[in-house]
Amino acid sequence: MSQGELSRSLIRAIASIGSLSRPHARPRIRFPRRTLHPASFQCFSTGPIRKSELVSRSSGNSIAAPPIDFDEDAIDEQDEKQDEKAEKLLKTLRIVPASPSYFSAKPDFTDSLISLQALLRKYATLPVVPPGHAPRVAWKTVAQFRLVVNEPIKSAKYHRIIELLHRLNHIHPALMPAEVTQALDRYKRDINPHDNKAKPGVIDDVGRSKGVGRRKTSSAVAWLVEGEGEVLVNGKTLAQMFGRLHDRESAVWALKSTQRLDKYNVWALVKGGGVTGQAEALTLAVAKALLVHEPMLKPALRRAGCVTRDPRKVERKKAGHVKARKMPTWVKR
Amino acid sequence: MPSITAHASMASRNLLAAPRTASFSTSCLRFALPPKGKASQAGPPARGQKSLHLKKSARPRDTGKRPALGERKMLRKRIVLSNTNALEVHGMKDLNGKNLRAEAVKGAVVGLPEPVVDSLRAVEAFKTTQGWNMFRRPATLMRKESLQIAAFVDDVEAAVGKKTVRKIIVGDRASGKSTLLLQGLAMAFLRNWVVINIPEAKDLVIGHTEYAPLPGSNPTQYTQDAYTSNLLSQIARSNSAVLSKYCITTDHKLSILLPPSTTLAKLAELGANTPELSWPIFTALWTELTQPDRPPIMLAIDGVGHIMNNSAYLSADAQLVHAHDLALVRHFVDHLSGRTTLPNGGIVLAATSGSNQPASPALEFSIQLAEARAKNPIDLPNWNPYKTVDQRSLQSLKDVDVLKLNGLSKEEARAIMEYYAASGMLRRTVDERLVSETWTLAGNGNIGELEKGSVRLRM
Repeated sequence: MSQGELSRSLIRAIASIGSLSRPHARPRIRFPRRTLHPASFQCFSTGPIRKSELVSRSSGNSIAAPPIDFDEDAIDEQDEKQDEKAEKLLKTLRIVPASPSYFSAKPDFTDSLISLQALLRKYATLPVVPPGHAPRVAWKTVAQFRLVVNEPIKSAKYHRIIELLHRLNHIHPALMPAEVTQALDRYKRDINPHDNKAKPGVIDDVGRSKGVGRRKTSSAVAWLVEGEGEVLVNGKTLAQMFGRLHDRESAVWALKSTQRLDKYNVWALVKGGGVTGQAEALTLAVAKALLVHEPMLKPALRRAGCVTRDPRKVERKKAGHVKARKMPTWVKR
Repeated sequence: MPSITAHASMASRNLLAAPRTASFSTSCLRFALPPKGKASQAGPPARGQKSLHLKKSARPRDTGKRPALGERKMLRKRIVLSNTNALEVHGMKDLNGKNLRAEAVKGAVVGLPEPVVDSLRAVEAFKTTQGWNMFRRPATLMRKESLQIAAFVDDVEAAVGKKTVRKIIVGDRASGKSTLLLQGLAMAFLRNWVVINIPEAKDLVIGHTEYAPLPGSNPTQYTQDAYTSNLLSQIARSNSAVLSKYCITTDHKLSILLPPSTTLAKLAELGANTPELSWPIFTALWTELTQPDRPPIMLAIDGVGHIMNNSAYLSADAQLVHAHDLALVRHFVDHLSGRTTLPNGGIVLAATSGSNQPASPALEFSIQLAEARAKNPIDLPNWNPYKTVDQRSLQSLKDVDVLKLNGLSKEEARAIMEYYAASGMLRRTVDERLVSETWTLAGNGNIGELEKGSVRLRM
């Protein structure tokens, strides 16, 4: 680089600095008031647009500089000088964050927490339903919440929000303020799994109840009717169907563990899989059919291990493996 | 890189020396056997070099004493009828000739008297698979079907025209078919009938006993002399009390001279001792038994499915001999089918087997037919003409009735479980709950499974 070039650029830089004007040098220019620009109101975080649905707008008491007042300038402006004025104005503009949380690490989260706390403070005196009697709600999981606010929220922090939501949800439904309902809706999952109610089983006109059970690759259907303990599986007796005593016991375990073996007759169909799978599919089928007759037995049956379907299945074989997990023997070259 | 370009000839040689597989798959290489190490190609160690020598240890030789000839079979076939560790059951009634159908024995466990046990043992009515060895003395449950047999016994004795009852006992595996047969034999012994029992039909047809064509028979029949003489000895031992009461009445034209005062027991013993004459003596004995004023006869066979097909024997022209061409089998089948009746009355019982039954479509269909006939004589199943069937068996079983063995009732199950408990073999309180649980798990009261679940399986 030559000397002349440097001196030229220096001169240009100094000239540009000199042309800059500062707000404190021209005190008559006020800061714009937020009320004049409702459309341009935005948060200043880098998150996606939809985050605004969660983050409530904070009151305007910013800890930064006061807002600019445009009123005076707007009145005495002349049309011909408008371009010039606007240019000046832009140079004097100071950007004010929408929320004081802007200066915290997780502004949207902080806003959410503060707004919920404020809500609770406001409605703390409303009567609440006893614990466990509030409508069941599935709140957003921490992962879903992170997607919405796009901030790295830890689950322990999110739990504070969940606690607040839980408390707000316990406000008596008859007195629930619309404001709270709206706030809660933001944190609910799109689909409430608790709304899905299982269809209750029915006892048909001849007193049969039906239950379906599966295990491994077997599936069983059992019909239960009041009787004296006769069991027919695929038209065979238990002894004909299952050679092992253990399998026979598994098949009627729901009845045996609740001491109902001599109270019901079982007629069942089972297909697929092997002997053990069929016996344990029957366990589940009989238990479900028994629950139709006596729903109060559910805890006892759960303790006996008859209610939950065993989801284990044969693991699939993978390419490059000899079996599901086994690798071929290592061979040198 | 420069080396290859510099020496092109060497590069090409290298490529030839190590042919590479296509790089798409490495499986072949990975699954290939490991290449032989260098050591294997090196040969034996050089002279003077030390090498590891491992002595092959000699296989440990079994120095134990071998069982004597026939000892294993004896152990296998041994019938144990008593367990001295089991408790004596107090208050258990014994079966006798008068109380076969008494109220006291209905659905109760009754003991078998000593002489009957001896006779039953002589006719090999006890099986090793049955649980006799677990109790103090042989006792059986008088279930519904046993009482039916008792009723047959009474019917035969009461009938004016000397009735013959023919039944095939069918039922599930371990449902008590052989035991029911045993009960029938015991009742016959108690009523002083003559009992002829073929304990296992399989022994007759699998070619394990010698056979010979019967002279003068057309079509050719075959006698089994060793088996027949054994059967005669069983008859003589088990029925000695009855048979010794009767003397021979006719001249049987046997090749040995019989004094006129020969009792039937003596005759049977003679047949047992002279196998070559066993078949003529058997027919002579049968002729004597069917004379007027002789006792009724109980004929029984277990595992009847085996005699409803070809036997393993070969005829002179190397064809399989049908089981019904064996003289002894034919004798039995004629009585079972009703072609020949018992002039003094009697019962012909044949039990099927749940565990050792060869495929016999004729028997299966006949059983189906008999069951359908018992329900509704008009609507009968038809044989599928496209299936092959043994016509002789089908003909012989045309109008035989079946006695179907179902599971025990709960009361019967309770009676037998109380007997187990009283014998000290079931150490639990026999209450409603235990009985119904065991009953269900035993496949709706299958007695064999009931025993297995409560006595044999100690938990």
